[in-house]
Amino acid sequence: MIVAEQKPLDEIKSMIADYQKILILGCGTCVTVCFAGGEKEVSILASALRMASRLDGQDKEFIEATVLRQCEYEYNEEVADLIKEADVVLSLACGIGVQTMNEQFPEKLTLPGLNTKFLGQPIEQGVWDERCLACGNCVLAKTAGICPITRCSKSLLNGPCGGSQNGKCEVNPEIDCAWQLIYDRLKALGKLELMMEIEPPKDWSTSHTGGGPRKIVREDLRL
Amino acid sequence: MNREEIVSGVPLAEEASPPCQVACPLHTDIRGYVAAIAQGDFEEAYAIAREPNPLIYVCAHVCAHPCEDECRRNQVDDPIAIAALKRFVAERHDLSLGHGPPKPEVEPKKQKVAVIGAGPAGLTAAYDLARMGYPVTVFEALPEPGGMLRVGLPKYRLPREIIDVDIKGILEAGVEIKTNVRIGQDLTISDLKEQGYEAIFIAIGAQQSRALRIEGMDLDGVLLGVDFLRDANQGRPVKLGRRVLVIGGGNVAVDVARSAVRQGGPGDEKEVHMICLESREEMPAHEWEIIEAQREGIILHPSFGPKRILGRDGKVIGLETIVCTSVFDSEGRFSPTFAPNTESVIEGDTIILAIGQASDISFIRPEDGIELTRRRTIQVDPETLATTAPGIFAGGEVTTGPASVVGSMALGRRAAISIDAYLQGENLAKLSFKEPEKLDELPPKTIEKIKPLTREPMPLLPLEERAFNYNEVELGYTLAMAMRAAHRCLTCGGGAYVDIGKCAACLTCVRVCPYDVPVIKDGAAVIDPTQCQACGLCASECPAKAITMKLYTEDQLFEQIEAVCAAAPSGNPEPFIIGFCCLYCAYAADEWAESVRAQLPPNVRTVDVVCTSRIDVQHLLRAFELGADGVFVAGCLGEECRHTERAVNRTAERVKYVQGLLDQIGLGSERLMLYDTASAEWGTVPQIAQKMTEQVRALGPNPL
Amino acid sequence: MKSDSNLERVLNAGHFAVTAELGPPKSADPEVIRKKAGILKGCADAFNVTDGQTAVVRMASWAACLMQKEAGLDPIVQMTCRDRNRIALQMDVLGAAALGINNILCLSGDHVSFGNHPMAKGVYDLDSIQFVKMVKDMRDEKKFQCGEEMKVEPRLFIGAAANPFADPFDHRPYRLAKKVAAGADFIQTQIVFNVPKFREYMKRVCDLGLHEKVYILAGVSPIKSSGAARYMATNVPGMDVPQEFVDRMTAAIKGIPSLKTIEDPEEKKEVRRRRREAWEAEGIKICVEIIQQVREIPGVAGVHIMAIEWEEAVHEIVSQAGLLPRPVVE
Repeated sequence: MIVAEQKPLDEIKSMIADYQKILILGCGTCVTVCFAGGEKEVSILASALRMASRLDGQDKEFIEATVLRQCEYEYNEEVADLIKEADVVLSLACGIGVQTMNEQFPEKLTLPGLNTKFLGQPIEQGVWDERCLACGNCVLAKTAGICPITRCSKSLLNGPCGGSQNGKCEVNPEIDCAWQLIYDRLKALGKLELMMEIEPPKDWSTSHTGGGPRKIVREDLRL
Repeated sequence: MNREEIVSGVPLAEEASPPCQVACPLHTDIRGYVAAIAQGDFEEAYAIAREPNPLIYVCAHVCAHPCEDECRRNQVDDPIAIAALKRFVAERHDLSLGHGPPKPEVEPKKQKVAVIGAGPAGLTAAYDLARMGYPVTVFEALPEPGGMLRVGLPKYRLPREIIDVDIKGILEAGVEIKTNVRIGQDLTISDLKEQGYEAIFIAIGAQQSRALRIEGMDLDGVLLGVDFLRDANQGRPVKLGRRVLVIGGGNVAVDVARSAVRQGGPGDEKEVHMICLESREEMPAHEWEIIEAQREGIILHPSFGPKRILGRDGKVIGLETIVCTSVFDSEGRFSPTFAPNTESVIEGDTIILAIGQASDISFIRPEDGIELTRRRTIQVDPETLATTAPGIFAGGEVTTGPASVVGSMALGRRAAISIDAYLQGENLAKLSFKEPEKLDELPPKTIEKIKPLTREPMPLLPLEERAFNYNEVELGYTLAMAMRAAHRCLTCGGGAYVDIGKCAACLTCVRVCPYDVPVIKDGAAVIDPTQCQACGLCASECPAKAITMKLYTEDQLFEQIEAVCAAAPSGNPEPFIIGFCCLYCAYAADEWAESVRAQLPPNVRTVDVVCTSRIDVQHLLRAFELGADGVFVAGCLGEECRHTERAVNRTAERVKYVQGLLDQIGLGSERLMLYDTASAEWGTVPQIAQKMTEQVRALGPNPL
Repeated sequence: MKSDSNLERVLNAGHFAVTAELGPPKSADPEVIRKKAGILKGCADAFNVTDGQTAVVRMASWAACLMQKEAGLDPIVQMTCRDRNRIALQMDVLGAAALGINNILCLSGDHVSFGNHPMAKGVYDLDSIQFVKMVKDMRDEKKFQCGEEMKVEPRLFIGAAANPFADPFDHRPYRLAKKVAAGADFIQTQIVFNVPKFREYMKRVCDLGLHEKVYILAGVSPIKSSGAARYMATNVPGMDVPQEFVDRMTAAIKGIPSLKTIEDPEEKKEVRRRRREAWEAEGIKICVEIIQQVREIPGVAGVHIMAIEWEEAVHEIVSQAGLLPRPVVE
């Protein structure tokens, strides 16, 4: 799922500095699940901003609403009236939601209240770990289901590098060395020969860095 | 308002109801009033308990509480002390606020209704009919209303003043009661019809003692139980010998025995025995009554049948008994069998019969059209309570035989509904009286996780203070006991409900629940009300705000916070502190919220909750938004928490999170503190309050 | 001969090779290189210039290598995958070869987070093994990575790094095999302190027959102080420093008064000098011992001396190890 985090309060305050009536719009899907922008977070942020605003002597007005998914026009349409009444929209959706809002309601600026961080796995309550870089050409079959692009700090395809120690990455001892994980799993599955082959350079053209912004069109699904 | 609402005020829920409510013949919202007590809202609790029950004060003292038998807590340890709690709120109720709810806005009806008998069934029927707008008159043969309440139940169980409180309430509802009018003697049923009564409810109860057809019944010293009780309760002198033998094993027999033992005086103590057919386990009297009887010195002789009353010189000298081997046959019919050649004699100079009561239906004339059953009781439709005579209904002990007060009241209510239908020209055959659906039993996996909490016994008058008087034996719960008792309630079915539209199936509730209740089904969380313990953790934790609590709602919490902030003293130089205190544990054992609150200085106010797990980030923020200078959260943060450390840890983390926000906002994190009241370090709420006041005073006022 | 590399000649002739490191400056000053080149000349068969070591910006390796060449040394240019995509890598390979640089060390590169520009975007288009293969194909197939042919190929002696001490230990010899299969001609290992472990590693490497396909030079480094020893033992990923060396460095300054007990600045200076001298002597001594030990291990074709910012020590080490003068092979 998409994992995001709220921006620091100071940054949000400076973004909305010039506006008086702000609609804080949450999203009921990914950002709800990662406790960044769901209905609950919207109400907490509204409360905090009201207080901060009053302390600054400004008395800004904050309206709260949450839509099911902010990347869909239909759902955003449900709060069109609220958007009209507000001076600006502070979105607590991921970057996709923010951009959809700006596109759908171009007369109103929608600001990002969150930093969209990564595609990740909720490994336990309160902990999310990056798992996928959307490189566009999945190699998980060769690496026992552990992604070397994402989980190796250097995205090595013929890892590990020389910095792997005690199963941890040299960059940060809290990060598992992806290639240690791959090695352990391939060994357990009896498929270590997969690690003996030289993996040729990756075709990065399917990824964003290689190919630029991507698009999928399914003609068979278009109405 | 529909008929049910007017009559009972308790619309039946769509979903399953707690077993206590279902077991209560009046379907009282027990869960509701116990929850109100748990939160310290005693008048609210009274209102809920009173709603379906016009004889609340009487029931508070003598109700047979079938609810407690069905209470799901029985599966864990002991049931909730529901009756004791009802008494607690009734006693605290400020009667100047009125006995019951105001009369509903209904069209006054013209049709007059007569109720014969001012006992529980008759009074309830009259009350309900009056509230529906009918002019009702109750005809009572005895000088005072109440029926067996007045003349049967002993004063040490039900003080007379208590009956009067409820009667007053019934009169205030617009019911007319005419005492000293015996139907059949002063007026007949035909007379009533001529006087314009278009419907009649016969609720004369069963006030005649049954007699035994055995040798010696006419000896001097043989008394009938009901007559004895009537005299004893009205303070008339009763001649009893030294050794009294009470025949019977039911509630009336126990009432007789315990009344007999109180007769006489110092030097004239009565030795009282009870002889009954039933074995000790089979004795139909309330268990708690039997135990008290024994404690008061009454000697039980279960499994004995009376064969002959022995006499000399025309006076009773004893009872010949025979061993009873069984009371009921294989079909459950009363058919006692005896062991031959097992006769024995119990000596005694007085025999009091309490083997059952019958109704005096001699007032019924053939022209009334009221058919009788083969056993010579009034024949009624079991659903509608209609007799064979149109417009004439009967209910209560006159149709059921011995019953509980509340059971008879429910029949009175049913009769009122039927009478209303009849008078409105409806087809009685179409009336249906649906019983609410009952919540299932607690599954074993949930029982394991519920923390056992002792049920405190009802405080009783010490034995030595009961001698030769009719002072009430049960003394009632103190405030502290009532709070503790209310906190034992599992709030069955009153817990979390999921709005599937909002649920993102994020698994948070599944992971956070200390009782492992929520499961994900078809893409949304499902919380089984049979298992949910209403701790409130999932509702406060849910990021989509998809979970609401049926009781102890978030709206209530916000209202409490707003009310407290609105009442902040103005111009007080001291900082305004709000304490979120856990009612289960923040207050020391014997000081309860009320007394502690009274000790707090005016700058400190508390918002009391059942478990701090309900308090989330936005609630704490709201307190600051509304101007609190400082906030503390006080609760048991260790093993004492009945909902396990899960609740404890969440509370601590939320407080930390708000402290972080307070720094970011610029208010300062030291304005919010968390205190573990179970630790010896922090002491009591007043001490905590003082500490917070000092700390916050140094920070200066909240600029908001 | 695959290239004009002196190192290749020395190794092919069967000599125990020596390579050393020349650290580039964090500035545009060419004098630093010239000075260091002067110090190092004659001490080794070829000289690495590191390339953005630990992700810190320094003068580019290829530029310093050119200056080395002008000073008469045989340079080894280092390039990392961290900073260049395959396009830039190939471009720089062509450029280095055109400048007459004969040796290249192909590395993945230390992660940007270690260095002084942690906000930089790390490239990592290829990894070191793919890089080795790419250079080999350029040289031997005369083809670019995309398959296009070139007229004049870069004739470089291709090197790669190996860390015998990193995890998973069991896999390291196989990773070396991959580098060999990719086309590595020589290997320079991470600094060896734990000789027994290195011996075990080399045994496995020889079992795989790799020592016959590639020249393995064991990395060594003189420790500068007991603080440095401790730092390397605990803070550098992939370094295995047995406690005995930390202890020896600590013991080296025994007898010299502690700095804390001295007030007089002149005295302090003197004590500092004595301490430095004692440490340096011990550090070099340890280094020489290790060189002598690894020389005995089958499959070890030479040593790579990394005297970081202490180029002066190289001469002393090589001399004490009995490896001077360096052979001249035509």
